[in-house]
Amino acid sequence: MNRFLDKPLQYKIVSICVLTNIIIFVVNIFLLLGINSMSVEMEMVYQDNRNLNELSTSLSNVQDSMTEYLSSKTSDSLENYYKNAQHFDLLKEKLDDKITELSFGRMERNIKNMSQNYLDEVAKTIEAKRGRNVEEYRACYENSTAMYEYINAYITSLNLELFVNNSKHYSELNNAFRHYEFISFIVITLVMAGNILIVTSFVSTIIMPLRRLADSANEVAEGNFDTELPEMSYNDEIGTVLNAFNKMVISIKQYIEKIRESMEKERYMQEKELMMESHLKDAQLKYLQAQINPHFLFNTLNAGAQLAMMEGADKTYEYVQTVADFFRYNVNGKKTDATIREEVTLVDNYIRILNVRFSGDIGYDKQVDERLLDVTMPNMILQPIVENAVNHGIREMGDRGKITLKVYREDKNVCISILDNGKGISPEDIEKIMSGRWQHKEHQYDNNGIGMDNVISRLRLYTESDNSFNIESKGENMGCEVIIRLPYEESN
Amino acid sequence: MSKNSLDFIRKKLNRSNVILSLTVLFVILVIVVGLVVFRFNILRYNVQSDDKVYDKYYVMITDNYKSDFWQEIYKGAFDAAQEQNIYVDLLGDNLPTQYSCEQLMKIAIASKVDGIMVYANESDEMTALIDDAEAKGIPVVTLYSDNTHSDRLSYVGIGSYNIGKEYGKQIINIMKDKENTTGYTDGSNMTNIAILIDSDAKETGQNILISAIKDVIEQNKPEGSDFTLNMITVNNTNAFSVEESIRDIFFADDIPDVIVCLNELNTVCAYQALVDFNRVGQTDILGYYDSEAIIREIEKGTVYATIGIDTKQLGEYCISALSDYYEYGSTNQYYTADVILINKNNVELYHKAKGVEQDE
Repeated sequence: MNRFLDKPLQYKIVSICVLTNIIIFVVNIFLLLGINSMSVEMEMVYQDNRNLNELSTSLSNVQDSMTEYLSSKTSDSLENYYKNAQHFDLLKEKLDDKITELSFGRMERNIKNMSQNYLDEVAKTIEAKRGRNVEEYRACYENSTAMYEYINAYITSLNLELFVNNSKHYSELNNAFRHYEFISFIVITLVMAGNILIVTSFVSTIIMPLRRLADSANEVAEGNFDTELPEMSYNDEIGTVLNAFNKMVISIKQYIEKIRESMEKERYMQEKELMMESHLKDAQLKYLQAQINPHFLFNTLNAGAQLAMMEGADKTYEYVQTVADFFRYNVNGKKTDATIREEVTLVDNYIRILNVRFSGDIGYDKQVDERLLDVTMPNMILQPIVENAVNHGIREMGDRGKITLKVYREDKNVCISILDNGKGISPEDIEKIMSGRWQHKEHQYDNNGIGMDNVISRLRLYTESDNSFNIESKGENMGCEVIIRLPYEESN
Repeated sequence: MSKNSLDFIRKKLNRSNVILSLTVLFVILVIVVGLVVFRFNILRYNVQSDDKVYDKYYVMITDNYKSDFWQEIYKGAFDAAQEQNIYVDLLGDNLPTQYSCEQLMKIAIASKVDGIMVYANESDEMTALIDDAEAKGIPVVTLYSDNTHSDRLSYVGIGSYNIGKEYGKQIINIMKDKENTTGYTDGSNMTNIAILIDSDAKETGQNILISAIKDVIEQNKPEGSDFTLNMITVNNTNAFSVEESIRDIFFADDIPDVIVCLNELNTVCAYQALVDFNRVGQTDILGYYDSEAIIREIEKGTVYATIGIDTKQLGEYCISALSDYYEYGSTNQYYTADVILINKNNVELYHKAKGVEQDE
């Protein structure tokens, strides 16, 4: 069985078809043999009657030819007589002379013996006729004719009885034939059912591994590579496919594993590189920080200021003191919040430093509501704005340039306005600045590095409102006003 | 997990193997059973041609093979022959034409049978045929009626003289009865006795019978009474003439007081005529043979008495005569079967005996 299952698929399928066909063929042959034997039997049913009829005809021929010879004495009729007599003799010899229970047998025996007697009598008649013994041949003729009639009577009777019996036999055979038909039908039906069973069980045996393969393939297709792999069943084509599939699934699994390993390695490498870089930057920063020690700077500036005071250079003392204050505020920037007062002071210091640098060109006007100076705000806001106003607004105007700083209350807001009379900003530029798309030029050494976008976003974050920062300009050379709105709480 | 699936596949494989084997087995079984059933059917139809074969073949020839009388004899002979593996045919029984005894003799001789039992007569033709058969080595037994001149092997019949005596006794009884009932004293007391004789009977048996009757009556007749004995010839030359002849008797002026019938058919015709002509009680019938119908008539009183013949014995004697011939070359010339008189007095007894016999 297993050896058979190891054969190629085509061989197996063809074998099953051949097997079932052979079974049906054999059954049909048997049924045909049965039908054949029955039809032979049926053909033979009336054979006895036919034989008897032949015998009767032959007997008549003998009688006729004898009569003809007696009446005409032609050599033809004599020849006929011999021929017929021989034929009749042959037929007669075929009869059975057993004494049987059945009347047919006994009648047959009687017919046979009587026929012999008749033939003897006829022969005697012919002999007497040839010898022209009138007396004798008449007597013999009468005898043989009587015998002829008896035989005929016997044959008729036997024929009739045989016919009755054969008819019975025939109808029995016919019945048997009907039964046979029914049995044949049942046999064929059963054999067909058996064949269906055979084919079904065979096919399911063959197909089963394929079905398992399909199930496994489906699972693999859904991404489950750990599915149970179908077992290798037999060495047919399905077995080969199964084998290949198993190998494929295993090698895919191995390949995926490999890829994952290499990806992990790569990521590790990248992380390492990034850390190196940040460490490097950290180091650079620390290095720079180490270079610029603000306390060193303040102490230095303070020392300068004291020196100027001892020398009586009041203005220098004041200037250095202002610069020191300015930078102290910057370095102090560890805390994010400051008061408006501190911011305004920073702006004062900045303007004073600028006036020293640019020999008092910038006019600075301050209108501040003292009650509002303790309101908190993000630090390093006002100074960059003022710096912008100086750098882009009034730098090239000489001593005509003027900056006005206002702190006032407007409804529930504290407003800080920085107004300049410089060259103003076009609405497009305002739009750009407000949306943070302004490209500020690199390498401006002249500021402390804090851009407007930084200021705007910090303010917006602090107030949680987009209206906290506003730029207004009335046109070219008409100046520019930046208004900062901070929420004012009464408790302050 | 994979072990399980292997087991599953193996199990499935085994199961399909089992199904497969079962199916193949089943198909083969169906074929075999079908063939066996078929063969059995065919054999059953063929088996009838296979029957018993006998050693010898005897025939019995009679002119009236349909009558109960001859059928009984045939049955006796047949049963006796069966024991010796011999078949006895009642010749002419199954032939389409009805043949005379002589024609049947010819057929039997031509058929080369092993023995003939013939209801013979004293005609020359019969004598010649019997001699012919004997010449051809076929033993012939004359049955019930003899052909004394021929070379027949032996005669199986009944003692005619005994039957005559029995008839005589019965006639005397009838005469005595008459005397008692009428109480006559004058000499006019005449009993008219008619004996029906077949027209073709030339046999001596009837003569013996008649003389026996005559002797018995002569010796024993009651005082003052007389009798006349007439032979009435019944024409039995053709099939229906017997009945007509018997009816003719009743049309005559002088209707006999006692009618003696010497065969079964005559008896039946006579009692029927008696009834039809309203002569019951006036004419008495002495019948022949104990067929059921005749026994019934005795019970009714239509038939005065009848002679019962042991027909079975007749048949048996025929067979033993033929067998003796084959065994010893010769046998008895005469076999006489028993006869019994049946009348109103012993009909009951007879019935019982018959019943017992049938039960056997």
